[in-house]
Amino acid sequence: MTALAELDRMILLSRDHVAPTLSDDEICQQFQSLKVLCVSDPHSLSSHSAQTVLFTLVALLSRMGMQVGLNLPDTAVLLPQPPFLGSSLCEALLASRRKLVTEATVRSDSDFKADVIFVVGDFPGKLHDVPCWYLTGSDWLGSVAMRGIAKPEPWSARLPVGAMVSAALAACEAFKFVMRSLPLRNPSDAVFFEPSFSSSWNFDRITVPLGERIDLGFVDFVSAGAISQAALFALSRFPGIEMSGRIFDDDITEASNLNRNLLTVATDLGEPKVQIASKHCSVGVRLEPVFGRCPGHTSDTRLARRVVVGVDDIPSRWRIQERAPNWLAVGGTSHYSVSSSVHTPGSPCSGCLHPIDDDGGEGRIPTVSFVSFWAGLATTVRLLRDALGQPYPPERQHLWLTPLRMDLLHAGMWIPVAPRRDCPAHCLASISMI
Amino acid sequence: MTVVVEKKFAVDVVYNGVTKPIEVQPEEQVTALLHKAISSFGITQNAHLLSLYRQDGSLVPEGESVERAGLMPNEVLLLRPNTVKGGGGLLQLACSIVHKAFRILRECGRGECECVVYWTGPAHESLIDGLEHPDHQRSALGYQVNDGWLTTFWKALGASKRSIKAQIHTHPTEAFHSATDDEWPIVSQAGFISIVIPDFALGQPSLENAWIGRLHINGKWQKLASMREALILA
Repeated sequence: MTALAELDRMILLSRDHVAPTLSDDEICQQFQSLKVLCVSDPHSLSSHSAQTVLFTLVALLSRMGMQVGLNLPDTAVLLPQPPFLGSSLCEALLASRRKLVTEATVRSDSDFKADVIFVVGDFPGKLHDVPCWYLTGSDWLGSVAMRGIAKPEPWSARLPVGAMVSAALAACEAFKFVMRSLPLRNPSDAVFFEPSFSSSWNFDRITVPLGERIDLGFVDFVSAGAISQAALFALSRFPGIEMSGRIFDDDITEASNLNRNLLTVATDLGEPKVQIASKHCSVGVRLEPVFGRCPGHTSDTRLARRVVVGVDDIPSRWRIQERAPNWLAVGGTSHYSVSSSVHTPGSPCSGCLHPIDDDGGEGRIPTVSFVSFWAGLATTVRLLRDALGQPYPPERQHLWLTPLRMDLLHAGMWIPVAPRRDCPAHCLASISMI
Repeated sequence: MTVVVEKKFAVDVVYNGVTKPIEVQPEEQVTALLHKAISSFGITQNAHLLSLYRQDGSLVPEGESVERAGLMPNEVLLLRPNTVKGGGGLLQLACSIVHKAFRILRECGRGECECVVYWTGPAHESLIDGLEHPDHQRSALGYQVNDGWLTTFWKALGASKRSIKAQIHTHPTEAFHSATDDEWPIVSQAGFISIVIPDFALGQPSLENAWIGRLHINGKWQKLASMREALILA
């Protein structure tokens, strides 16, 4: 197994903009040579949210093949952080080296010479003069800001969604750092990879009962690929979650999945994706693995009241939509962009949003860890909001988000879904137009 | 004195999170705006998959002028992937056209020869509202459309701003796309639909047992799981 095979899809994505004269090997080496130092303070690390920032950030960086250094006070892991294993923070993070992507290391050497530094909350020591971002946030909001722009702020959030947002924003800054070092096909493309001096994203606060179990009921996940695994990665970090359900997929884990399948480790290669997703979730998330074609292909599978779809194949989304009329969340990615939507009775369905089979399913799909993660995280937030009776309003039925330049006004756009007369799933909203 | 009224205005196009103002004229086609936006962002990969969307989630119709599409100054438009262009959308047709096709294929083939018909519709709409039965030579092994008829037909289509949406032909027994079918469709544009009816169309007038495929941008035919991936029957 080589890094080229594991990072193949990210290299493919970078080729949207990298000059064609560069070989895959050269692009790969550039990502692998980046050294990222993660630091934090004891106060922050006594919170589950700051721990979640670190685990998520290390996962996203490692899956881009980068080398991670840690300068952290060790502390007990407060809640499970699958697929990381270990009772102490440093032990669990260090043990992940070469397990997420085989040549991505995680070290705590004192001579680690970082190219980029991420500060989770605050850091009492001296920081070298390299690009440095502070990661801050609250329950539902995450931010990154370059040194000098924002003040350090210890983490104290109770819920981990803002933490995961913050980690995803930081991972993107590391990705762009590498892209800036590569010659681009078109010089004007540099605008997509400029550093964000300060950026944030807010999924908007909702009321979550303190200390109570949050019962999501029975949920079906169609696909055990990157988006479903990202959604389950995020769900597994939410305190008090209780969920049962099934996960459907007929695919086997390959090396090229390691760059984005967040619950997968290198030793899982060759195993069915459903088994991996099922076994690496936290205790409160109980999924029955169903190895086989997605349920839209057969008529004998009744789907749950809530269904999460992460399949790329558009006709499969239509078939599932027809059989899951109650609540359907669809997460998808297209190159650097993320699409997340929810479809409920009477609202325009996923056929209205994705009316055309783009037939991209047979080829290699370009993607990178943090983009897939955003799609899964947005889906998880929708699932939580629905379970807590606080769904987004119709004008937020669709989120189109491109997490490259989250400092810009239109990086993330909430959009309603317009019904289509030619909806392939013949939903009520489309029929009412005829 | 002639007063020239400046009608040009700008819309804000968002791609990959970055916003750029693009100048348009009211009478300009939306397709021209789309091309300008693609060029402005220097997009060279899969540009044919991109369309413009309004903030209400609706697609900006590419067959319209900027004015008729209702675009306003400073309106924010999202440039994002939509579809394989070239007729890749779902085609709407009446059941009566399916029945008519079966009747012609049966009567012409008489249970012993292959036959072909073409479904047609307005060039810029996903609508099938016409059927053409070409002048052709036929046998149990295939058919060949008359060159002269084809030339006249193409001219007529151009003059009436119509296009061929799908070709439908019969096979003696099994429905499949032969190497000849792959090689010689009447239209070689990505998104074109080909339908093969088994048993010389002597069965029920339904597309359930038909082979239905769409021409991919890579030049290969993709078999569709069912007619519903290509057609909406009204």
